[in-house]
Formats: sequence, structure tokens, C-alpha cells
Amino acid sequence: MHNSIVEKIIKEIEHFAPSRESEHVGRVTSVGDGVVAIDGLSGAVMSEIILFEEDKGKKLTDAMKDRGELYGLVLNLEEDGVRATILGDTSRVSEGMTVKSTGRILSVPSGDELLGRVVNALGEPIDGRGPFKKTTMMPVERQASGVIDRRSVSVPLQTGIKAIDSMIPIGRGQRELIIGDRSIGKTTVAIDTIINQRNEPEERRPICIYVAIGQKESKTARIVEQLRRERALEYTIVVDAPASAPAALQFLAPFSGVAIGEYFMDAGRDVLIVYDDLSKQAVAYRELSLLLRRPPGREAYPGDIFYLHSRLLERAARLSEAKGGGSITALPIIETQDGDVSAYIPTNVISITDGQIFLIAELFNKGVRPAIDVGISVSRVGSSAQTKAMKSVAGGLKLELAQFRELEAFMQFAQDLDKATADRIESGRRMVEVLKQKNGAPLPVEMQVAVLYAAGHKFFADVPANKVTAVEAQLVEYLDGQNAKILTEIRRSGTLSDDSKKGLEKVLEEFRLAHPESFTNKI
Amino acid sequence: MENAYAQALMRMMSRGMNPKDAVAALHTLLVRLGRESLLPKIGRAFGRLAEREGGRTGITLTVARHKDTHAAQHAIKDILSKMKTDTDEVVVRTDDSLIGGWRLEGRERLIDASFKKYLLSLYNRATQS
Repeated sequence: MHNSIVEKIIKEIEHFAPSRESEHVGRVTSVGDGVVAIDGLSGAVMSEIILFEEDKGKKLTDAMKDRGELYGLVLNLEEDGVRATILGDTSRVSEGMTVKSTGRILSVPSGDELLGRVVNALGEPIDGRGPFKKTTMMPVERQASGVIDRRSVSVPLQTGIKAIDSMIPIGRGQRELIIGDRSIGKTTVAIDTIINQRNEPEERRPICIYVAIGQKESKTARIVEQLRRERALEYTIVVDAPASAPAALQFLAPFSGVAIGEYFMDAGRDVLIVYDDLSKQAVAYRELSLLLRRPPGREAYPGDIFYLHSRLLERAARLSEAKGGGSITALPIIETQDGDVSAYIPTNVISITDGQIFLIAELFNKGVRPAIDVGISVSRVGSSAQTKAMKSVAGGLKLELAQFRELEAFMQFAQDLDKATADRIESGRRMVEVLKQKNGAPLPVEMQVAVLYAAGHKFFADVPANKVTAVEAQLVEYLDGQNAKILTEIRRSGTLSDDSKKGLEKVLEEFRLAHPESFTNKI
Repeated sequence: MENAYAQALMRMMSRGMNPKDAVAALHTLLVRLGRESLLPKIGRAFGRLAEREGGRTGITLTVARHKDTHAAQHAIKDILSKMKTDTDEVVVRTDDSLIGGWRLEGRERLIDASFKKYLLSLYNRATQS
């Protein structure tokens, strides 16, 4: 053993004085399915951390081999005792075990050191890159900011997705729900949004937190790898409570994520947090509540399931200047069953959030990706955060697409269409093509403005519909390579000035002349 | 069901009712309800409750070796007086895993002055720092 350690031990033994500190304890009376009933602990408070005493009756050498301390979380205060959930391996708890009260409310570490790391629902690193050295403990349960501490949403949070930034804009501090069936790109929208933050200048770039709840480990590993590859992990923290984790950790993960985020918000920074997904958290909470013998309500969810989500999402806020001006933008994800948005959990979360992005399987199967149904998607507060440049090019877009969807349905029956209707359908078809976007390829806002300006000025009218995406990609490359000055100006000013418009028109004309083979379609 | 009856019985007695009268009253009630067959189960549930209650109110002193008892009892005198308990009411147990010192547990309180606890915390501090 190292000399300094030996010296330290000798010194400690020389100063030995047995502790006479009194601890508040209880005794485990039953244990099962991750939930323990404890007799005693009458002074325990809700959400208090309790410590299971595993070394009672064990020899010192055996006690030294224990795999760290085992904690629990108090969830029910009852007449004769408490019920708690085990935050770890259930098999380590046995009947009759002594449980100590810690007097601590569950908290997780937060700080700059967490950036680029993957942690579990208790904030412990699980990426094999060692423990954290200097962190600040943040309470997992905290009262959301009050009215006086908040200010309205006015700064945009660019997702890099044309359909969202143009028609369903999101502002910093907003809560925008991403909802849809399984495997139709909900996570992709959220991850693209995280990746797009690399386009923001460092001082304004939000800290991103991705909370994976009940997901497959392989999916989370793939996402972490994608974020690393896209250089987005350096400003992202991943909180992982996989499907294999106890229900208690899956229920806690979003709260841990937002607690980590609040550290940055309190420091005046902007935070983007993705909860993927809250349906699984609700299921985990239902499981836990039933085990805790709380009365079941609709769909067997407990009575406080609405409060579970509202108190979580209310913690997303944009703080006033007096409070540092930080913000937390929340993108909760909800998975629907066969497009049923009227189920219990979807309706709850829809009513809590400031808008929703609906993804529908029909569009996804048609190849429209992201499969956003702009007709029923809304952003209640985001429009005030949209830049003037984007507003000027995206003004009539939603209406045009809605009309196109209606006419498209009508077209299935009608054969002969008048020219105006046919033109509108063709124009709509091209707009749908323009709004398509590949997975993992978010566009900077100035590029989106340029593309939508081109689309709005019938630039793609002579391009065959099946070639629009390819021509758009060429145009993006052309704009980025040779005409970055116009884009920089749009980004800097946030407006589309007359000079910028003239510049764009000139560039579009040059592109058209340089690529005549792409403009072969005659309506 | 039997737990509820056992709890009611416990409560009646804790409020000063004679145990014989309490059981008789319960028996009369069960006969009237036609649930007399529950009585043995209620008895067992009551036994469990009483044991738990005893664990809650009783105090146990654990020492590493029997010969340490006297010293330990002397050491806990002040603590017991604060808990308004006599030394005679304390159950003494021996657990050699404590190595030395003593451990007092009861009434939702634990004071662990054993050598094992000290050495374990020392080990944890040395290995974790």
C-alpha cells in the first residue's frame, strides 16, 4: 500500500473516537418488484433518500466487498411506515434490513464537466470515462419558476428543419410536443434539432440534454455515436434510463435531466432538453404507483399522472433578466398507438405544452420525411420568436400546403381540373418536395430562408417534381460555396433586405443558367 | 381483512381497554357478521403486529463480546436517560462482527459506535479519495 495512505490510516486510528451520532432508522418489512415497505422512519419526508444498511451482521472483510451503497427513494408516507423504491439492485435488499434516513432530497450532479457525457438517472457516469471531479448538486424535485421570474418567448430556437422553422417555429423557453406513432421519425426530429445547434455561435448555443427513457440500449448507443460523429456531443448531456432499468429510474430520468438543465439555466445559459419519451415514463410511473398500491384511475394510471407531466414541463421557462435570462426549451416526445391522439397521456401532454408537431404514418410511408402534418401541427408562442427573414418567406406556406392537401384528396375523384387548380396542385407538390429533408442534415436558418425564397418565387416550377430534392441540394451547395456573403447578411440581420433579395434573385438566375438540364418541366 | 381487525384490536387495547373485553367484543361482532372463521387469522395478524410494535418500542444493545456488556451499558447510560428508559429494559445481544464497541438500536433510532463501522468508513474514505 502507498506510504501516504498508510500514514493517513495510522493518523485516523490514533484519533479514533467512536461516533455517538444518532441516526433515524426503520426496518424493511417486505420487498418485491423494486418496492419496499418499511416500518418506522416516521420522520421521513417525500422524495427523501434512504440508505439500506447491508453490512449488518457481516464480517468486516465481507462488508468491504460490497458494491457501493444502496439507496432508496421515499414515495409513500403511510400510517405505520413508508413505502420506497429501490434505486439499484433489488436483490440486495432483504426483509428485516435496517434502513437509515439521510435527510437528503434526491439530487443529481450538474456542471460543465457533464458536457459530452452519458449519465444514468441518478447522474452517475455510465460511459466508462471516470467519475466527475467538480459538480454542483441540483435537487431533482424543484418548484418551477413563478410568473414574476419569467418573461415571454422571443428568441428563436432553430431546429434546422425547414417544415418546423418555417411553419411551426419554436422559441427558447417553449415546450413543443413531438407526437406520432412508433418509428416515424420523432427521435430524428429531436436529434436533428440538437445537431443543428452547432450552427449557432458558441456564446448563444444552447446546452442540449437528451433524456432516453425506456429506450433500447442499442438505440441510445447509436444516438450517442451520431452526436459524436456530428460534433454535437461536446455540448450535449445524455441521461439514460434504458428499458432494462427499474421503473423508478425510468420515472426519475426526466426530472434528473431537467435538474441538470436548471444548473445551466440558473447560470444564464440556454438549454434544450428532449424527453424521449414521456409515454414510457408514464408507463413506468403507472407500474410504480400500482406497486405502491395507489388507487388506479383511467387506463390504470394514478390520479396524479397529469401533475407528473405538468410539474416536469412547467420547469421549462425563459427567465427574466433579473434571474439571469437563461432558458430551458423542452421537446417532449409522446408515442401514439395507431395515430390515436385522443388517448389519456397524449391529450394530457398536448394540453400542457405550447404546441405540437404531429408526425403521421401516412406521410412517412409516402416518403415525405420528416412526416410532419403541418395542418394539425401548431406552435402557440413560437411565431413571436421567428426572425423577420423567415416570416417574410414562410408567410403563406401553411395555407398553401393545407389547400394542396385538400385538392390532392379531391383530385382522386376529379379527372378534369381547371388550370388554376392544376397549377396549385403542381406548386404544392413541389413545395412538399422542397420541405423534404434527409435524416441528420439540418439546414442553417439563412439557408432555409434562401431555399424557401426560391420556392416561393416559382424557382422550382420548371423542375420535374421528382428532381426537386436533388436540385435543391445543388442549390444549397451553390449558395454555400460561392454566395456565402448573402447568407451571412441574412443571418446577421435576421431580415431579408431588398439588397439580399436582389442578390438572391441574381444567384438563382445564375444557377438556372448554369444548370439548364434541371429545368425541363413545362406545366 | 384480518390485518384491519388486528389493528382495530391493537388500537382498542392501546386506548386502555382490557384485552379480555376487547377480544370478547371482537368475537361478538364476528359472530354477528358470520365471520367467526376469521378469528385464527386475526390472532396471527395480531401476533405479527405485536412483534412489530415490540421491535418499534424495544431497545437492543449489541456488543462484540459478552465481556464488553458492562462497559457498553455504562457508555449508553446518558443516552438511555434521554430516552427515558432503564438499563434493565434493554435487550443485550452479541455480534462478533462488530469487532469492538457497541451498537444501540430501537425506537427508530440507531447509534453505531462499533469498531466495524469506524473501520469501514475509514476504508471507504481511503479508497475513494
